[in-house]
Amino acid sequence: MIGAVHSQLGPFHAPHVDWKGMSPLLSVLGGSAAVLIAGLFPGRRTQRVVVPVLAIAALIAAIGLTVWIWEPGGVRPIVAGALSVDTLALGVSVLFYVAGIATILLSLRSAVVRECGAGEYASLLLGSIGGMVLLAGAQNLVTIFIGLELLSIPLYILCGSRVRQEHSLEAGLKYLIVGSVGSATLLYGLALLYGATGSTSLSVIGHAVGTRVPLDDPLVLTGVALAATGLAFKASIAPFHTWTPDVYQGAPTPVTTFMAVATKAAAFAILLRLFDEGLISDRTNWGPALAALAVASIVIGNAGAIGQRSMKRLLAWSGVAQAGYILAGVVVGTRLGIQTSAFYLAIYLPMNVAAFAVVIARMRVSERGDDMAALEGLGRSSPWLAWPMTIAMLALAGFPATAGFIGKFYLIDATVAGGYAWLGVAIVIGSMISLVYYLRVIAVMWMSPSEVEVPAPAPARASPSRRVRSVAGWSPEADVRAQPEVAFVAIACAAATVFFGIVPEPLLHLAREVGSAISSAL
Amino acid sequence: MGIAWFLALSAFIFCIGAGGVITRRNPLVILLCLELMLNAGNLALLSFSRMVGNRDGQVFALIVMVVAACEVVVGLGLIVAMYRRRLPIDVDEVSELRG
Repeated sequence: MIGAVHSQLGPFHAPHVDWKGMSPLLSVLGGSAAVLIAGLFPGRRTQRVVVPVLAIAALIAAIGLTVWIWEPGGVRPIVAGALSVDTLALGVSVLFYVAGIATILLSLRSAVVRECGAGEYASLLLGSIGGMVLLAGAQNLVTIFIGLELLSIPLYILCGSRVRQEHSLEAGLKYLIVGSVGSATLLYGLALLYGATGSTSLSVIGHAVGTRVPLDDPLVLTGVALAATGLAFKASIAPFHTWTPDVYQGAPTPVTTFMAVATKAAAFAILLRLFDEGLISDRTNWGPALAALAVASIVIGNAGAIGQRSMKRLLAWSGVAQAGYILAGVVVGTRLGIQTSAFYLAIYLPMNVAAFAVVIARMRVSERGDDMAALEGLGRSSPWLAWPMTIAMLALAGFPATAGFIGKFYLIDATVAGGYAWLGVAIVIGSMISLVYYLRVIAVMWMSPSEVEVPAPAPARASPSRRVRSVAGWSPEADVRAQPEVAFVAIACAAATVFFGIVPEPLLHLAREVGSAISSAL
Repeated sequence: MGIAWFLALSAFIFCIGAGGVITRRNPLVILLCLELMLNAGNLALLSFSRMVGNRDGQVFALIVMVVAACEVVVGLGLIVAMYRRRLPIDVDEVSELRG
């Protein structure tokens, strides 16, 4: 029977699948399915212990498998040219895994997990990470689109996952609408690129543009512009950033943390791949356009952050400005530019996670929520939270002896060497403006009178008794001890920020290997 | 009929969708306009697929349809959740986070 079918259809060649190269992705997606099933079992222990442990185990396994298959050099296609593992894909995906672990630790005691279920929460998070890994390794326009949607759709749900809170639902709907406009724009751009070159493969497109297809072909130009617009929505690059402060503020804070670091890294990974690998020959056309977007982000982001009182909104605006800095590395298109972008993405993670962890810790005990006033006198009352926040703010501002300084230094170096010196000047000016609001946070923590807050009876919030054990014996120090995992994440990230500021060489070495993945770079 | 007609139609649909997302206020209509934008992309993919003579574009369009369905499911779910909370179903009224 099978023989008869075989003789009728002729020989069939299945595409070659490199299971070893796919193993980190399989680990994450398998973990996503496993936690979803584990979450179905009743009992508080399953929800609070088994599910997070399983999710973290899947992510740690993915990191281990990534280290196992790490190999510097060019593209290694793993599924019939649709996906590749190279050091760019692997290096950036480690950032997603670390961000995922931090998010799960930060949401251990969060109200989100109780409201939407631990299994569903962790499963959506891991699914989103799977989309990011797919996106970072995409070698084909179809893979880019699928990766982007697999990343985004779980995030829309996660943003709206506090179904009893208006903010959260509104943030979810807003992010869905803006994100889908971005996806549709990107899709139209990709369709035009396909029409111009007749292929969906990035390498074929890269070879065709400039040889078979003229550089100023209207289809290519329109396609590149629309694709850049679509990705700018995801990376929150001005003027496509307007959703960022609203969604960051409305979403549950652990989810905001994840979006701030992981989504940004994924969007920049695909920007690097599409522009610096696929379309590098067309650089004279897209370079100035992206440079203009970078300057707009730096100016608008820093100007928008100055008047903010909400910490989540402040960090959102600062994220817009930081996206402008990283985009400068993409614009120059040189190997140095790619390395510095990768380096900056890596140090951007601990700086931001440390800041968000402190915000989360304060939001749980202070009735002022994410307002800057919740940080008043933190330096005296709980220095274990104040120091990580201080380090994070100094690093984001680019202070020496923190990783932020090294990152900005190399970014400016890359822009000057790549012929975009004025972009380097924009980064310096932007950093100077940013000191206004970063230093204000530090001043609030260390220079305002310490005010011992009695934990609020928490009018609308769910079960305040879980957060602070006993009101009678409460002291400011207790809020560190009551949530050790949040303090741990904050302190570990701050320590990493300082460590890579003083000893950047190991990370720079990795960034050089990541840069070596894109062979077409100048 | 040349490919230009198909591309013009698809660009026209894309603009209708984009215009609708910007100007309409009911989230349901906005979701509808998002579908228009995605389907404009599909039309462009299919016409290019016939033009260049390979099937990559058709496969791409199929995948886009699946993704579009997923997006609408999540969008409708959020709208139903908001409706149950008695929140205003109008994006201009959804102004809690404005500013």
